[in-house]
Amino acid sequence: MSLRFQRLLLILLTLVIILSAVLLILYNTRENVSYFYTPSEIDKLDIVINETIRIGGFVENDSFNKISSNSFKFKITDEKASILVTFNGILPDLFREGQGAVIEGAFVNKDIFNATNVFAKHDENYMPASIKEDLKNTGYWNKKYK
Amino acid sequence: MSSLVGFFSLVFAIGINFYLFLSRYIFKFQKQKFNLFIRLSSLLTLLSFFSLMYAYVVSDFSNYNVFQNSHSNKPLIYKISGTWGNHEGSMLLWLSILSIFSFFFSFTKNIDAGFQRLTLIIQSLLHILFGLFIIFTSNPFLVNSILINEGLGLNPILQDPGLAVHPPILYAGYVGYSIVFSIAIAGLFQNTDDEWLYVAKKWSMISWTFLTGGIALGSYWAYYELGWGGWWFWDPVENISLMPWIAGLALVHSLMMVRGEQAIKKWIVFLSILCFSLSVFGTFLVRSGILTSVHSFAADASRGIFILLIFFIVTGFGFLVFLLKEPNKSNPLNLLFINKVSALVINNILMIIATLTILLGTIYPIIIEVLYNKRISVGGPYFNATVIPIMIPGFLLMSIAPILSWQTNKINNSKKYVLAFIILSVLVLIQSYFLDFNTWGFVGLLLGFWIILASIIAIFSSYKIKINIKFFKIINPHVAHIGVGIAIVGITCSSVFQNELDFNLSEGDKFNINGKTVLFEKIETTNQTNFQSLRGKFLFDIEKNQSKEIEAGKNYYPVSKMITSEAGILHQWNKDIYFILGDQKDNEWFVKVLINPFVSFIWLGVIIMIYSGLIAVTRR
Repeated sequence: MSLRFQRLLLILLTLVIILSAVLLILYNTRENVSYFYTPSEIDKLDIVINETIRIGGFVENDSFNKISSNSFKFKITDEKASILVTFNGILPDLFREGQGAVIEGAFVNKDIFNATNVFAKHDENYMPASIKEDLKNTGYWNKKYK
Repeated sequence: MSSLVGFFSLVFAIGINFYLFLSRYIFKFQKQKFNLFIRLSSLLTLLSFFSLMYAYVVSDFSNYNVFQNSHSNKPLIYKISGTWGNHEGSMLLWLSILSIFSFFFSFTKNIDAGFQRLTLIIQSLLHILFGLFIIFTSNPFLVNSILINEGLGLNPILQDPGLAVHPPILYAGYVGYSIVFSIAIAGLFQNTDDEWLYVAKKWSMISWTFLTGGIALGSYWAYYELGWGGWWFWDPVENISLMPWIAGLALVHSLMMVRGEQAIKKWIVFLSILCFSLSVFGTFLVRSGILTSVHSFAADASRGIFILLIFFIVTGFGFLVFLLKEPNKSNPLNLLFINKVSALVINNILMIIATLTILLGTIYPIIIEVLYNKRISVGGPYFNATVIPIMIPGFLLMSIAPILSWQTNKINNSKKYVLAFIILSVLVLIQSYFLDFNTWGFVGLLLGFWIILASIIAIFSSYKIKINIKFFKIINPHVAHIGVGIAIVGITCSSVFQNELDFNLSEGDKFNINGKTVLFEKIETTNQTNFQSLRGKFLFDIEKNQSKEIEAGKNYYPVSKMITSEAGILHQWNKDIYFILGDQKDNEWFVKVLINPFVSFIWLGVIIMIYSGLIAVTRR
C-alpha cells in the first residue's frame, strides 16, 4: 500500500465515523426525546395514547390512594387542571401530597395516565426549574421554593 | 471569630495574587521570592477553608452558612463533610484545591524558571476570578445578626461516608485541569522547547486519575444510596463530569505522542484548554440551576451569570491565545494505516465526538426551550444509543493499540490476535445462545473479553516478564486497558442481564430467589443518633448453616423531615442481590429484588484504571 493510499483510507475512515455519529445523533434525538408538559397544557393538547411524555406539577392534596403495597393512584395538578395517574412500583422517598413531582409515562386512555417513572426531588423546597415559570404564572408559587 | 479569620485570610490570599499578577509587569521578582508568595497565598486559602471547617466542627451557628447546613447532633464526619455539602463551601473547596495545585507546582524542579512563573501567574489569575466570585456571590463567612442555638441540618441524602469524600476527589480532578490549562497557555507564550509537554503529561495524568476516582465514588454512592438499583443514570451532572473525563482521556493519549517525537502540539493545547473549559462549564451548569439535578444546591441567577462570565473569560482567553500564538512547527505526522499514530488519532476523534454527543444531549433541552419555548427531556436511551456505538471502534482498536509500531504498519504476531478474536467470538456466541440472545449483551461481552484477552497476549508475547517497577511501567498501558475491558464486562452484564423480582410479603414469609430460599424475618424500627430507622430483615439461603442477613429499609431524619431509602445489598463476586423495601398495606410489604450480575467487575475495572493512573505518574 502506498503512503498516499493509506492516508486516504484513514481520511475515509474518519469521515465514515463522523457521518455515522451525526446520523446516530439525528436518529436518536427523534426517537429518544420526550416532551414535558404541565397538566393545563395537556388539557389543550390532543392526547396521543401510548406516547411517552413527562408531566410536571404537584401531587394534589387528598388525591393519593394506595391500592396495594405497590400500586398507587394519585392526581398531578397545577391548580388549573389535574390528571389521574396510576403507578406500579416504589415511589420515591420524597413523594408526598402537596409536593412537586415529575412523572414519566403515557396515557393508556383519554383519562388515565400510567406512569413508568416518578421523580421527586431531593430537597423539600426544591422545585424543578422547568415548571417554575408556569407556577409563577399561575400564582401557585411558594416563596420557600428554591 | 473563625468566620472573621476565614474571611480575612481569603481576602488576603486574593490580594497576594493580585500583587503577583501586577508584579510581573511592574517589578521583577526573584524566583525564590515569587514562589514564596504563591505558597503563602495557598496556605492562607487553606487557612480560610479550615476555619470554615472548624466552624462546622464546633457547630458555630453564628456563621450563617453553618446555621443553614449543619446541626449539632450530626456525627463528626458529616460535620466535616458538611463544609462542602453546600454551594458556598464547595466553591471555597474549589479555590483551596486550586491553590494546593499551585502550591505543589511551585516545587516542580527541572523546568525553566520563567515558564514556571508564567504558569503560576495564570493560576493566580484564576485564583482571583474564583476568589472574587466567592466573596461577591457566595461568601461562606456571613454572620448571623441574631443569636441562634441550632442549625437547620445537612441534607440527609448527603450523610453518607462515600459522599463525604466524593466532592473533594472530584474537584481535585476538575481543578487539576486548571494547572494543565495554565501550563498549555504558558507554553504558547514562551514557546521555548517541548519541556512543557512532559510537565503537562504528569499533571493531566494526576487530574484524570482523581476525576476517575471522583466519578466512581459518585456512581457507587448512587448505586447503594438512591435505591434505584443502577449506578449511572445519565443525569446532567453525571454527563458534565463525564465530558472532561473523556476529553482528559484524549489528552492523556495524545500526550503519549510526544514520546514518538511527533507532538501534535496544537491539538494538545486545544485539548488542555477544552478540559478546563468543560470543568468550568460544568460548574456553571450545575450551580446556575439551569439544569435540574440532585446536585443543584440553589438556583441563584447572579451566581450563574458570574460563573458564566468566568467561563467566557477563561475559555475566551484560552482559545484566543490558542489562535493568536501558534506553537513551533512540529514534524509532520507519521500517519499510516494502521500504526500507533493513526490509532491515537482515531482514538482522539472518537473521544471528541463522544464528548460532543454528550454535550449536545445535555444542553439540547436548554436550546429547545430558548428557541421554541417547549420543554423536552433527553433521557438515558439517547445517550446509550449514541455514545456507545461511537465508542465501539475505539474499543476494538484499544486492545492492540499499545503494541502498534510508531514507524511501520506491521503488527507483530498478527495471526495470534486474529485467531484469538475468532475463537472468542465463537465462545461468546455459544454462551449467548444458552442465555437469552441480546445484541448489546453479545457486543459488550465480546468487546470486553477481547480487550482483556488481546492485552494479555500482548503482554506475554511482546515483553520479557520481570518483577520490577520498570516492567510494570512498560506494561502499564495494557494494564489500564485490561481495567477498561473488565469494566465493560461488568457494565454489560449488570445492565443487560439485570433481573427484577417483585414480592408482596408479610413477616415470616419465605420466598425464592435463584433457587435459594429467603426468609423475611421481621420489620424492626430503632432510634439512631440523628435519625430513626426502619429495617426489613431478610435471611438469605436459610437452608445452609451460614445464611446471610440482609437489611433493607428507610431512614427518617426528623431535623429535615426527610426520608431516605437504604437498599440492602448482598455482595457476591459474581452478582449483587439488591433488596429494596417498598410500601406496605395491611401488613403486606412490597419488596423489590434486583439481581445485578458482575457489578463488582465495574469497580474492579475502575480500581485497575486508577492504579495504572498512579503508576503512570510515578517516576521511572
